[in-house]
Amino acid sequence: MSWWKFLFPKRASDAQMNSELRFHIDELTDENIAAGMSPDEARRRAMLEFGGEEKFKEEVRDVYRVRILDASVINLKSAFRFLRKSPTFSATVILTLALAIGANSAVFSAIDAILLRPLPFPDADQLVRVDQYNPKTSSPLHLVAPVRLEDWNRLNSTFQALSGFSSEDVSESTGPLPERVTRAWVSSRFFQVWAVSPVLGREFTPDEEALNGPAAALISDRFWRRRFNADPNIVGKNLRLDGHLTPVVGVMPPAFLFPDREADLWCPIPAGLSYGQARENNQFMVIGRLKPGVAVPQARANLATVQAQLGRQFPKSDAELSVGIEPLKETTIADARRSLWLLFGSVTLLLFIACTNIAALLLSRSAQRQHEISVRFSLGAPRGTLIAQLLTETFLLAFIGSGLGLFLAAAASDIFRTLAAQLPRVEEIRLDARIILYSLACSVVVTLLCGLVPAVGGTRRSLSAPLAQSSRSLVSGRNPLQWLLVGIQVALAVTLLAGAGLLLRSFQQLGRVSPGFDAAHLLTFQLGMQWGETGDMKKLHQFTDGILETLRATPGVDAAAISVGAPGVPFRYQTELKVTEGRADTEPKIVAENRFVSASYFATMRIPLLAGDVCRETDGAPSVVVNRAFADAYFPGASVIGHHVQSLNLGYSGAAEISGISGDARETGLDHLPVPTVYWCAPHAEPGTFFLVRTRNAPMTMAESIRQRLHEIEPQRSVYDFAPLEQRFSDALAENRLRTVLLTFFAATALSLACIGLYGTLSYNVNIRQREVGLRLALGALQGQIVKQFLRQGLGVSFLGCLAGACLAAAFARVLSGMLYGISPTDSVTLSSVVLIVLAVAVVASLVPAIRAARVEPMNVLRDE
Amino acid sequence: MPIEKSDLLQGTLDMLILKIVALGPVHGYGISLRIRQISKEVLQVQQGSLYPALHRLEKRGWLEAEWGESEKGRQAKFYKLSAKGRKQLASEESTWNRLAGAVADILQTAQ
Repeated sequence: MSWWKFLFPKRASDAQMNSELRFHIDELTDENIAAGMSPDEARRRAMLEFGGEEKFKEEVRDVYRVRILDASVINLKSAFRFLRKSPTFSATVILTLALAIGANSAVFSAIDAILLRPLPFPDADQLVRVDQYNPKTSSPLHLVAPVRLEDWNRLNSTFQALSGFSSEDVSESTGPLPERVTRAWVSSRFFQVWAVSPVLGREFTPDEEALNGPAAALISDRFWRRRFNADPNIVGKNLRLDGHLTPVVGVMPPAFLFPDREADLWCPIPAGLSYGQARENNQFMVIGRLKPGVAVPQARANLATVQAQLGRQFPKSDAELSVGIEPLKETTIADARRSLWLLFGSVTLLLFIACTNIAALLLSRSAQRQHEISVRFSLGAPRGTLIAQLLTETFLLAFIGSGLGLFLAAAASDIFRTLAAQLPRVEEIRLDARIILYSLACSVVVTLLCGLVPAVGGTRRSLSAPLAQSSRSLVSGRNPLQWLLVGIQVALAVTLLAGAGLLLRSFQQLGRVSPGFDAAHLLTFQLGMQWGETGDMKKLHQFTDGILETLRATPGVDAAAISVGAPGVPFRYQTELKVTEGRADTEPKIVAENRFVSASYFATMRIPLLAGDVCRETDGAPSVVVNRAFADAYFPGASVIGHHVQSLNLGYSGAAEISGISGDARETGLDHLPVPTVYWCAPHAEPGTFFLVRTRNAPMTMAESIRQRLHEIEPQRSVYDFAPLEQRFSDALAENRLRTVLLTFFAATALSLACIGLYGTLSYNVNIRQREVGLRLALGALQGQIVKQFLRQGLGVSFLGCLAGACLAAAFARVLSGMLYGISPTDSVTLSSVVLIVLAVAVVASLVPAIRAARVEPMNVLRDE
Repeated sequence: MPIEKSDLLQGTLDMLILKIVALGPVHGYGISLRIRQISKEVLQVQQGSLYPALHRLEKRGWLEAEWGESEKGRQAKFYKLSAKGRKQLASEESTWNRLAGAVADILQTAQ
């Protein structure tokens, strides 16, 4: 019988058994009638003679069932015996698999939580992020004016509702010290869009959502637990938010983390607010819920029509705007997708290497068990039974390994959180039935991958006779299959190492980048502020100057400045600009990044001024500094100083005179080349503004004294988010770091597995060829020749593996492009150093068994015969 | 006196079935009928042993089965010998003959 028929035996279907039985009874009845009985009596006797119907079926079923069940139990028992008999071998295999399957399940649990599962809201696939943007500038200004949001809600036909929100930090001062909390202002239809209700308390009433209605706040589960110790009587208690008493009306469920995981509370923002009426007042991030059955392209077409209609109605503000709609899940996941699939790919390669490694181990084992297998053959065991038994052994190992691997998978959430706290949905990673099932499936695949070849190969009947002899002969046969497996391991390890090497080198390149400013000894922090304060610019200017003066007067501080957005941390604010002096139509449109800084910014950041003066911090005629990239791109060969520029998208800025040119700085991220940038002198802080302080000593040592100084002059404000600027760079590169660290770890594991595989196979070879070596030494061969021979064997396979691996790496290089900085995906230096490392490791792994082979005592092995 | 299954030598029923089926495709009822007729009512096969045996032989690949119409137009499962079964039957027959011959020799000589 072929082995696959053993694994998937035929079965008798119930219906077939029934008709076979019925036929027999019918025939018996006919026979009885012919013998002279009445039809009823004839049938009764026939049934009686045949015996119980169920008994018959059971007996037939037994034919198919008994052996399989018995066989599995017997196989399992013997597999356990096998495990106990060779503890070292079993432990090696189990640990290798625990690592490989565990790492695989861990990465899969992240993929499952982040990419595969829907967002934790009801009917989450209906949720979309809706942006308005000006297609003429390359980066979208995606915030939406409240009044436009109301128009969209009124005119569209594809959404159940659209709701907007904006968040800001406020000081909550019912406790002993003011605490900074993050508040999201949410527009009406908030609950309609999210379809999430408070777990405690109630939703906002229409009164609370109306203009001049009573204040109300919903708080997050996290804030409730942290600040109120999960007080069940929280509803009705008051918060003091920037001095305003606001009652808590409810607590949201723990999974509700929107706009982000920092959100502490949500307050309703009335639609009729006066400053919400301006069509230029873009402040809302907008989430919409599609009607059931509406696809995203349909909604895009619908809102485009609506916006075109608004464009005709309000040509000045709306004509140039387009609407972008993306599924909320996509915008939440953003760039994590590529990193996660890259990691999954590499961890799967690692699993393959582990499988290959174990397949080679099992192969050498089944050669050792040839005797046992031959005996069982001669006792009449069918080949299928033997294969099933060998596979059961492998499965038991894989099963235990995957069970241990679950411990690793259980730590996945912590690992990912430690390496990349900013990874979206990272708190949703957990060990659950799906992950357990996945790792079980892994163990089945592993069983087939690494068990099948040794099991089928090891039980080949025609081989059994000559192999049984070969252990007695002096010269052993070669094992091409084992060497092929070693070669595959080396090739896959080289592929992974090449990937890790490229990521590491690109990290190194990033470290060498000169950002155009001096990031060392810079401390950054934020101050609790409100948008309401931006109403009185003059007061705000005085306040900001006061803060900066206090900072400069603090001992240990050399300079202080403000900037909206931390330099070198990805943040884009690109708009189109117009030169008041006029430009020819043939010249390119001016598109530039905008930065809002104090005049002291350049000195604090040590960005050199190449020409002209620093911008003036006056409330009168504004002036700006442009960077060299701006001057070179838009005024090549001409003087740029003295021209006036005006932003087409910044509502409040008039024409500003260009007073100077600064050096290029990597404002939009260390991994981005400097782009044309305009620095607007904005000597007033806003919510979200960073304070930059150049310190003489390590930046964080100054944090406490700065906090105290500021508390003296502004006791009501919270001072928070202290971090050295370099720390922020590293946070911005967190995802980059996540994949680099994990891929490097996987590659290192792969290399050690390949090394173990090479060592094990060569050792095994040395062992079975001991007699041959002994004989040759006795006949006068030199030890050096023996070493050279085995070394050549190990290195030859490794070299071919390296070649194949280098080709694989070059073929897969495209996967990495876009994740690399300053290095080509087919960088020859990286590839050749990876190959050198692998070859060096291969020399060590081969040298040990080769030397052992040469130390064989001829008399000992030959006497053994 | 009819001999029932328990008295049949282990493995004999399989050989008898193979032999009957070797004569041509036949259903389970026909097999039990033939065994009874040919053995002149000496051998009686219980359905409780016949059908499990048929299915066992089919599973081993010695019998092949297909559904067809009986003489009376009823749906019946017909068994026929496979090539493998034919080989098996030949080897069992020769073993049986050797054994029966040896037993007969001993019985005669010892008399």
